[in-house]
Amino acid sequence: MKKTKSSKGKKLFIKKDVNGAMDPDTNPEFVETEQETGVVEETKKVKQKSKKSNEQPTAGESEEFLSGKPVPREDDNKAGETGPEMQRKTDTKVLENRGPWQETFADENTILIQRTVRSGQSIRFDGNVVVMGDVNPGSEIVASGNIVVMGALRGVVHAGALGDERATVAAFKLQPTQLRIANHITRAPDGDYLTPEYPEIARIKEGVVVIEVYQMGQDRQTKIG
Amino acid sequence: MGEVIVITSGKGGVGKTTTTANIGTGLAALGYKVVLVDTDIGLRNLDVVLGLENRIVYDIVDVTHGNCRLKQALIKDKRFEGLHLLPAAQTKDKTAVTPDQIRELCAQLKKEFDYVVIDCPAGIEQGFKNAIAGAEKAIVVTTPEVSAVRDADRIIGLLEAAELHSPKLIVNRLRPLMVKRGDMMSIDDIIDILAIDLLGVVPEDEMIVITTNKGEPAVLDNNSRAGQAYRNMARRITGEDVPLMDLEAETGFMNKLKKLIGFK
Amino acid sequence: MLDFLLRVFGKDNSSSKNVAKERLRLVLVHDRADMSPQLIEDLKEDLIKVISNYMEIDENALEVNLDSSNNTVALVANIPVLRMKRTSKRKEKIG
Repeated sequence: MKKTKSSKGKKLFIKKDVNGAMDPDTNPEFVETEQETGVVEETKKVKQKSKKSNEQPTAGESEEFLSGKPVPREDDNKAGETGPEMQRKTDTKVLENRGPWQETFADENTILIQRTVRSGQSIRFDGNVVVMGDVNPGSEIVASGNIVVMGALRGVVHAGALGDERATVAAFKLQPTQLRIANHITRAPDGDYLTPEYPEIARIKEGVVVIEVYQMGQDRQTKIG
Repeated sequence: MGEVIVITSGKGGVGKTTTTANIGTGLAALGYKVVLVDTDIGLRNLDVVLGLENRIVYDIVDVTHGNCRLKQALIKDKRFEGLHLLPAAQTKDKTAVTPDQIRELCAQLKKEFDYVVIDCPAGIEQGFKNAIAGAEKAIVVTTPEVSAVRDADRIIGLLEAAELHSPKLIVNRLRPLMVKRGDMMSIDDIIDILAIDLLGVVPEDEMIVITTNKGEPAVLDNNSRAGQAYRNMARRITGEDVPLMDLEAETGFMNKLKKLIGFK
Repeated sequence: MLDFLLRVFGKDNSSSKNVAKERLRLVLVHDRADMSPQLIEDLKEDLIKVISNYMEIDENALEVNLDSSNNTVALVANIPVLRMKRTSKRKEKIG
């Protein structure tokens, strides 16, 4: 299934890709860092509702990913940048560096957090993370798989932290301080304080982090369609 | 070679972070290369006050632990080319860095920036020791309250013990009308007690709350009295001789009235 | 009314600012008087040195404390005297 220009119409937010941003050698000057404005890219809001959900690529169970070509890895350098990050101690479980990306998706490995994740708290898990509660600003969730928040997501999240670009982030209220999937880092645009009205899901499409209204059963539909 | 200035107070809530953000921005507005360092690990706030919280990828702990290079962790301000932030970590605690590491960090930053302004955490424990480790000059922030002045006195003693001599004082949140009524200690009262040089006085100003809400330092607001005070202080830090602003002006109904009818 | 006028002209000593200042002054004397044990020891030694010129004292029973009561802080030393000296050591030295 090829994605075409028409898929743009589905995007609620278009988050620009920050590939290469993690590579320190691309910064010619001392002060030119990937944290500067424009590197952690702003999202742009395009309020258009999706209709052609069957054209959307899906994460996880999608046939497309199971049978199709593996998602190309980021180059080694970028992958290396993720390394040290993952070696930090975790609240819950120490993430092992699983080495190269594997075909098997970490969906058999999921933890459930039944509380509000507050500022200063950090959840790091090698697998999927489901939070039944809010994720407050100043907290962070890092998962090698997907992240689902049954509440408001306002902290920093990093799905697919070991480099899996198929990872997704879904939340009832998706308002993260910063949202990272694999090696992509995005943030909301300055001065954009709109509250999302629907559950939303973020994932990488065509090398770009895209946020869409979460549609129930959407993945299955795609599979059938 | 730049200058490393630590902004400290002992007591919490007197406006260290607001002061750091405003003085740093003020210096950057004057054209200097400035880096603001948040050493309040575990309770970082400088990023939020500057409106840069969503840009953080690496922090000071990542730098000291070698997870990234120093330049990778520096966040460029959205308004000023010359202004940068080195954010604190939020999911660690004060013991994640040591005074030696901060000293080394300051030495590195000093080479690249004209001013390295360090936001110190409240208290006198490890976080304070970390924050002052690399500093060459100190600014003590207080408010005209017994508790804040007492803590400032303690801090001045500790700074002197750490060979940081002649710190400068900022009196924050002064309410000129209350001083006039005799219900608030005046600048002279505070100076009399603490016996250090005054860097500036910041009048209580609602604009601070508003600008902090927006993540924009008040120093950029030309209508803000506090902003004016911060602009003056930034210039004093650079060695300029700027007179204290007239706090009595525009306070009180009678003054406003006088001004209105051209009496003043 | 007089109270009000005094307040207006800032002559009222009981204004809360003056209360604050007084309390602060006192509390700071305390804080600053919170001498380290080392300093207290040094002070003791110096006291003994000086007093020994004039009288023989029980050095072990010597007590030096910073005492605070009634809005003042005082240095209270309790020095048991064993024997007075007839001549001052200092004079001897000079002589």
